Amino acid sequence: MTTTMDAGRARGIRADLDRKPGLREQAALYYRISRLNLKAQTAYHGEFVLGLLFGLVWQGSMVLFAGVLLLRFPGLGGWKQGDVLLIASMRLVSHSLYVACFSNIAMLSMTVQEGRMDGFLLRPMPVYRQVLLSRFQVNSFGDLLAGAGIFVLALFRLDLGWTPLKAVYVVCGILGGTLVEAGVQTLLAIGALRFTGLFTWTSWVDQTISTFGNYPLNVLPSPAKDALTFVFPVAFIAYLPAAIVTGHTATTGLPLWLTAAAPLLGLGFFLLAKAVWYRSLRLYQSVGG
Amino acid sequence: MSEVALNPMTGSGAPQAPLRTLADGRQSRRAWRAARVTVLSEFYEWGRVASTLGMLVIRAALTYWLWQALYATTKSSAGLDSRQATTYALLGVFYVAFRAVNRWAARDNMVQHMLEGTIAYWFLRPVSPRRFYCIKACGDLGYGACWGAIAYIVCLTTGVIAPPVSARAGLAALACMALGLVTLYYLRLLIDLACFWTVVNNQLVIMYEIVQNVLAGALVPLWFFPAWFAAFDRLLPFQGTLNVPLSLYIGRTPVNQFAGALEVQALWIAILAVLSTLVWRRASARVTVLGGSDDHDDGRGSRTRDPR
Repeated sequence: MTTTMDAGRARGIRADLDRKPGLREQAALYYRISRLNLKAQTAYHGEFVLGLLFGLVWQGSMVLFAGVLLLRFPGLGGWKQGDVLLIASMRLVSHSLYVACFSNIAMLSMTVQEGRMDGFLLRPMPVYRQVLLSRFQVNSFGDLLAGAGIFVLALFRLDLGWTPLKAVYVVCGILGGTLVEAGVQTLLAIGALRFTGLFTWTSWVDQTISTFGNYPLNVLPSPAKDALTFVFPVAFIAYLPAAIVTGHTATTGLPLWLTAAAPLLGLGFFLLAKAVWYRSLRLYQSVGG
Repeated sequence: MSEVALNPMTGSGAPQAPLRTLADGRQSRRAWRAARVTVLSEFYEWGRVASTLGMLVIRAALTYWLWQALYATTKSSAGLDSRQATTYALLGVFYVAFRAVNRWAARDNMVQHMLEGTIAYWFLRPVSPRRFYCIKACGDLGYGACWGAIAYIVCLTTGVIAPPVSARAGLAALACMALGLVTLYYLRLLIDLACFWTVVNNQLVIMYEIVQNVLAGALVPLWFFPAWFAAFDRLLPFQGTLNVPLSLYIGRTPVNQFAGALEVQALWIAILAVLSTLVWRRASARVTVLGGSDDHDDGRGSRTRDPR
């Protein structure tokens, strides 16, 4: 009798687990997890406040870097100051969206080292999604604030003859940039499934994008430009979409269709990276032995 | 979590003064072996060393090309020509890369010791925690300095960066840089010691590094900033850690201003040394050891009694 009841309950639980939750249920779950993570972050008040400020200070320092250079030099690689500011601002907004939604993947090496990954493999939710929801990134508020501020400033300084199509393209470019950054960090996170100490690489990628993603890449020699376009696709984050909006497509050295397709390629790159990441999960080695 | 009494300045396990013997001196010298820990943990995973090297080469190359491009349309800006600005920017890159070793993967950061409760061992060794911290920092610095020297020699011999404008300027820059590293040691120590009050200091460390890089001139040479910014920065200890030595090196600051810069740095070092001694004393007296359990667990860890 007991066995029959247990089997029945097990079947019920399995059916419950197999049932695909609706969009509203998923959204409610994300909200609950994020709220709990945010609550956990507030346990250390000082750290929480500094986290809020961190995004603002980090992005502020990068803007300072770009701003000081742009004020001192008339332009860069044939791009005027305002045009370069558009690249920097698009990169900032896409980075802030990346931090809010995807940056936990860059911290996978820490998650693995803390032994939290084992739990993700056992729960009835896609592993990648659990990784993304594993921490609430408080600094995303500061990032978003800095990004939005600079973007508005750039819009005021530029006279591009805005049309609805251009505006939609800028939005798509920003989203594409977010996905490119997420894709790069996702591919890098594959290494974290096997090796510890990969955080140095992820922070280096973050720094390199933050520093060199703000400029027209046509100033670099051809091999370096090609590497930052096809190997480490920094160009697709903001440079190529900004080239379309400002009309600098000739400086990219790429076919127009490829430059214009940057947002779409960003989406494709991210989906590919995620698929490769899932396939690589079999490489995962728990640090707990 | 049990309450334990620890001697903040000598470590609780350390023999007190009357018991000290010749063996203590030998033990004291042996303590310097702890300086090797960071180097050994770095070379334990060769991939990490290779990645550090690869990352540095790429970053240096991108920085070089960026500054060459900026100077493509102008000969001089903010009193710096292309060669001076490129030399400054590249030395800034090396400075950021080698100033501190990331101990996160080796789980050897102060915050990690604090969270895992292993900070207690710092107070149980026959070396005071203060000295232990200093020894490890010296090890990190030595390791970073070796890498920095290799990068400098390679760039200098390939002509990517310029040599110092004169031998005197080179020596002056080296002396300033040495004092700057002492300043940085004390600043980082104070940030790490904040853990004793806040338990977690990740954001504080990152914020400090960003602010320090900006105010020291590691991101952009300070000569490109507005005059009011430079004047404000002169009041802080950061400029002496990078901008002053590099400005002497490239000849943007005359060597006869060297003495003044040295005095400012010495003053800051004295202030920070006194402050860090006071903070060490207070921090050691209230160390929170997380982990373990006993009947008196109040859920917040145990705190040491102030032995004074």
